[in-house]
Amino acid sequence: MTAVPLRPDLALKLGGRAIYGIDFELPGMLYGALVPAPIAHGRLTSVDLSAARERPGVVAISADDVSGLTGGHTGDAERPLFARETVVYRHQPVAAVAAPTLAEARAAAASVRVVVEPLPVVSDLEAAFPEWPGSDAAASPRVAAHVHARRGDVDRAFRDAEKVVSETYRTGSVHQVALEPHASVAEVTGDRYTVHTTTQSPFGVREDVASLLGLPEESIVVDGTWVGGGFGGKGASFLEAYALLLARASGRPVRLALSYREEFLLGRTTLPAVVRFETGVTGGRIVARRVRLLLDVGTSLPGRDFATGYSIGFLLGPYTAPAFEVEGYAVRTNKPAFGPHRAPFAPQCAFMVESHLEHVAREVGRDPVAFRRDHLWREGMATPFGQTVGPFGLPSALDSAAELAARWRRDRPEGHGVGIGVGFWSTGTGAGGEARLRLSPETLTILQGEREIGSGSVLVGLAAVAERRSGLPRGRIRVEYADTAHAPYDAGVFGSRTVGALGRAVDDALVRLLATLAERGGATAPLSLAEEGGEIVVRGASGTTPVRALLTAEELAGGGLAAEGKHYGRSGSIDESLVLDGTFYPYTDFTGAAHVAEVDVDRETGSVRLVRYAAFQDVGTVIDGPAARAQVEGAVAMGLGAALTEEAIWSEDGRLLNAGLVDYRIPTITEVPPLDVTFVEGFLGAGPFGAKGLGEPPIIPVPAAVASAVRDATGAHVTELPLTPERVARALKPNEP
Amino acid sequence: MTAGPLSLTVNGRSRRLEAVPYSERLLDTLRLRLGLKGTKEGCRSGGCGACSVLVDDRSTLSCLTLAHEVEGSSVTTIEGVAEDPVGARVRDAFEAAGAVQCGYCTPGFVMALTGLLKEEGRSRPFSELLEDLGGNLCRCTGYAAIVRAAAALREGDE
Repeated sequence: MTAVPLRPDLALKLGGRAIYGIDFELPGMLYGALVPAPIAHGRLTSVDLSAARERPGVVAISADDVSGLTGGHTGDAERPLFARETVVYRHQPVAAVAAPTLAEARAAAASVRVVVEPLPVVSDLEAAFPEWPGSDAAASPRVAAHVHARRGDVDRAFRDAEKVVSETYRTGSVHQVALEPHASVAEVTGDRYTVHTTTQSPFGVREDVASLLGLPEESIVVDGTWVGGGFGGKGASFLEAYALLLARASGRPVRLALSYREEFLLGRTTLPAVVRFETGVTGGRIVARRVRLLLDVGTSLPGRDFATGYSIGFLLGPYTAPAFEVEGYAVRTNKPAFGPHRAPFAPQCAFMVESHLEHVAREVGRDPVAFRRDHLWREGMATPFGQTVGPFGLPSALDSAAELAARWRRDRPEGHGVGIGVGFWSTGTGAGGEARLRLSPETLTILQGEREIGSGSVLVGLAAVAERRSGLPRGRIRVEYADTAHAPYDAGVFGSRTVGALGRAVDDALVRLLATLAERGGATAPLSLAEEGGEIVVRGASGTTPVRALLTAEELAGGGLAAEGKHYGRSGSIDESLVLDGTFYPYTDFTGAAHVAEVDVDRETGSVRLVRYAAFQDVGTVIDGPAARAQVEGAVAMGLGAALTEEAIWSEDGRLLNAGLVDYRIPTITEVPPLDVTFVEGFLGAGPFGAKGLGEPPIIPVPAAVASAVRDATGAHVTELPLTPERVARALKPNEP
Repeated sequence: MTAGPLSLTVNGRSRRLEAVPYSERLLDTLRLRLGLKGTKEGCRSGGCGACSVLVDDRSTLSCLTLAHEVEGSSVTTIEGVAEDPVGARVRDAFEAAGAVQCGYCTPGFVMALTGLLKEEGRSRPFSELLEDLGGNLCRCTGYAAIVRAAAALREGDE
C-alpha cells in the first residue's frame, strides 16, 4: 500500500476537490434564505408570509410554524429561532424561505412583509448602562450576568498604598473572518434528520439541534464537511436548525448558506468592552488591584457567565494581587450575541492589562519588564483566586523575550520602537472525547468525530501522537472522520483542545491496543510498532513479530484489532470564599507566551508598520514541529489585525457599518512581518506527552506587544483597540482637534 | 434580451453554454453551471481573492467578472492548474511549503500567483510580487508559508 501523506488533505485542497459546506449539494435540493429584521429593536407586529407562499415552489416559515422553540444553544440564548413579539437586533431572523433557486429564494424572502414598531435602540455599551457605576447597577435589566470577587481589605490596601494609578481602556469588536461563509444542507427522511454542515463541532451541533427542535439526539445525524476556517465562529450550531425546518416543511433537501455580508451582519463576534483599572503600589510592588469590566454581550449568549467570569481573570493577567477586587457586568445591547473568537476576548484583555502595568511601572519609576517579572506567577505559587500554578513556561518565555527585546532595541533605527507583550491562557478544557483504533497488518486507523478545520490538529496532531506512542511511522497511520451516527463522541475543535484532549483519547486507546498485543505475543510492555517489508510488526523485548501473526482470522478479515480510548479532563479549583456573585472558573493547563514586536510609526499620520516579530511560546511538548509553527504564524497575523485594523463598527441605530472585507480590514500578505518562533518546552501540560494546546495562546500577546512597541517608539500611550492611525495620532497630539 | 449563448475554453476544453444571463458572474458560471467547485466563493465583492482564476493567463477575480466578458477566452481554474507548467510548479510549492491550512483561500492564491509569475516574468523585485498578492486574503497561515512557497518559486526561476 502507499504511505499516508503527512497532510493527507493537501492534495484534495490543492486539486480543488475538497467539498466544503458551501460546495455541498444534494439532488433536488432547494435553496434557503433568511428574512431579516429591518431594524435593531422593536415590537414585531406582523410577519406576512402570504406573498412568498404564493410564489411557485416556495415554502416559508416563521415563529408561528415552530412554536415552542425557544432556548437552545445557538448563541441567541433565550431567543426563539425566529423573532417573536420583539426583535432585538438588526437582521435577526424573523422568517425563512426555500425555493428552487437562490435567486427565487432571495426574491421570496424580500416579498415577506415584516412590520416592526420601533423601540429605542441601544447600541453603544456605555450608553446602554447609565446605572453604572451606581451601587445597584447589577440590578439593571441590561445586565445579563454579574460577577464579583474580592480578596482582603481592598479599600484599606488602596488607602495605605504610596501611589494609586487609575486608567480606563476600551476595546472594539473583532470578527472571526473565516473565509468560508456558514453553510448547511439538510434532509429529513421520516424521523431521521440529517445535516451536512461546516462546523467545528458535529456533536455540539447535534446537541443544539436536538434541543432546538425538541428531538432525541439519536434521530439527528450531523455530517461535518471540510471547513473553510473556524476560529470559534463555527463552534455552535447556526444555520442547521433553520435548514432542517425548511427541509421538513418542503419535503426536499434544503441548502442554506450565508452571503459574506450576512456573515458580518449575523455573526457572533467579540463585542466592545470598557475596563477600569486601579492599581496601588508601595515600594515598587503592587499591593492592591481593582478591575471593573463592562462587556457588551449583544443579545446575550448562553455562555455569558463564562464570558464575564472567565475574561475578568485575564484582566488580572498572570500576575499576583495581594488584595484585589474584580467586578464584571455582561451588558445587553441591540447587537447579535457575543461569540467565541480564537481565545475569546483574551487578546483584548492582555492588551489592557499589559498596557496598564507598563504605565504603572513608568509612573512609579520602574522598568516595565522587571516590574512584570516581580509579579509574574511561577509554578507552585497561588493565583489571586487561590489555585496553585502548574508547570508554567511563561516566566522563561518572558526572560527570553526581554533579552531579545534589549538586543533589538540596541540596533534599531531611529524612530523604531520595540515592545513586549505577555499573554496567559489555560488550555486542556474538561470537554471530553473518545477514539476508536483499528490495527491491520498494513495500517493503524484512528476513527474519530472531529473534522479537520485547517490547523492540522486532527489529521497531523492525532497521527503524530500515535506515532510518538507506538513508534509506527505516520505513513502507516490514517486518521478517519465519520458522522455523528458512526464516530465516537468528541466535543469538537475549540479551546485548543484537540491534541490535548482527543489526543489523550487516542493515546489511551493505543496503550490498550499495545497491551493486547503484548498479551497475545507473550511479551511484556512497553512494545512498539514498526514497519518492515511493507507490513506492520510488533517489537518487544523478545523480538519482532508481524502484526499479522497476532491477529485472529476474524480480525484479519474484519479490518484489524480494535481498541477504544477516551479522555475526560478535569480542572483545578479556586477559593470559592472570594466569590461574592456569579461564577469564576479554575484553569487547567497554565500556558502563555511572551512576544516581541518592532514597529516603525509615522508620527504625522499615526500609521504603524510592523518591522519584525518574535514569539516565545510555552507549549509543554511540541507534537509536530511544522504544524506547531504554523499555528503561531497564523495566530500572530490574526492578532496583528486585532491590534491595528480590525474593528466592527455599529451606528447608534444598530447598523453594522463595515459589513464586508473591503471595509473591515484583516492583514494582507505585505503587512505581516518576518516572524521568529521559539517554543519553550518542558513545562508539561495535561495533553499527551505533556503537550499544551496551541490554537489560541499565540494570538493573545499580539496587541499588547504592538502597543508596547508603539509606546516605545513615540511615547503614545493608546488606551483603545485597535491602534488605528487616528488613535495613535491623537495620542501623539492630544491638543489638536 | 437578458441571456445569450456563451463560448469559452475552460481548463483546455471548449464549452458552449446556452442562455447564460448577461448578469451572471463568471464565478457562478464556473461553480454552478459547470460544477467546478474548486474556485471558492468568498465575499463576492473583490475583497478576498478566493475566487481568483486565470483568464487568458491573467489572474482575474471571477466574482467581479461577468461571464459574457470572457467570451472566447481561455479560463483556467484550480482543477486545471496541473496542466499548466507554471501552475503545476506553484501547486507543488504550496504543498512543499505547507502553505495550506483550511485550504479555502488556496485555489485563489495558487491561481493568482500562477498568473503573476506568468505575467511578469523574473524582472520584478520579490516585494512587488507580494504587493500584487495583497488582494488575496488568508486567515489561517499568517502568509508565512505562502511567502516561503513564493520565495522558493522565485529561487527556482533564477
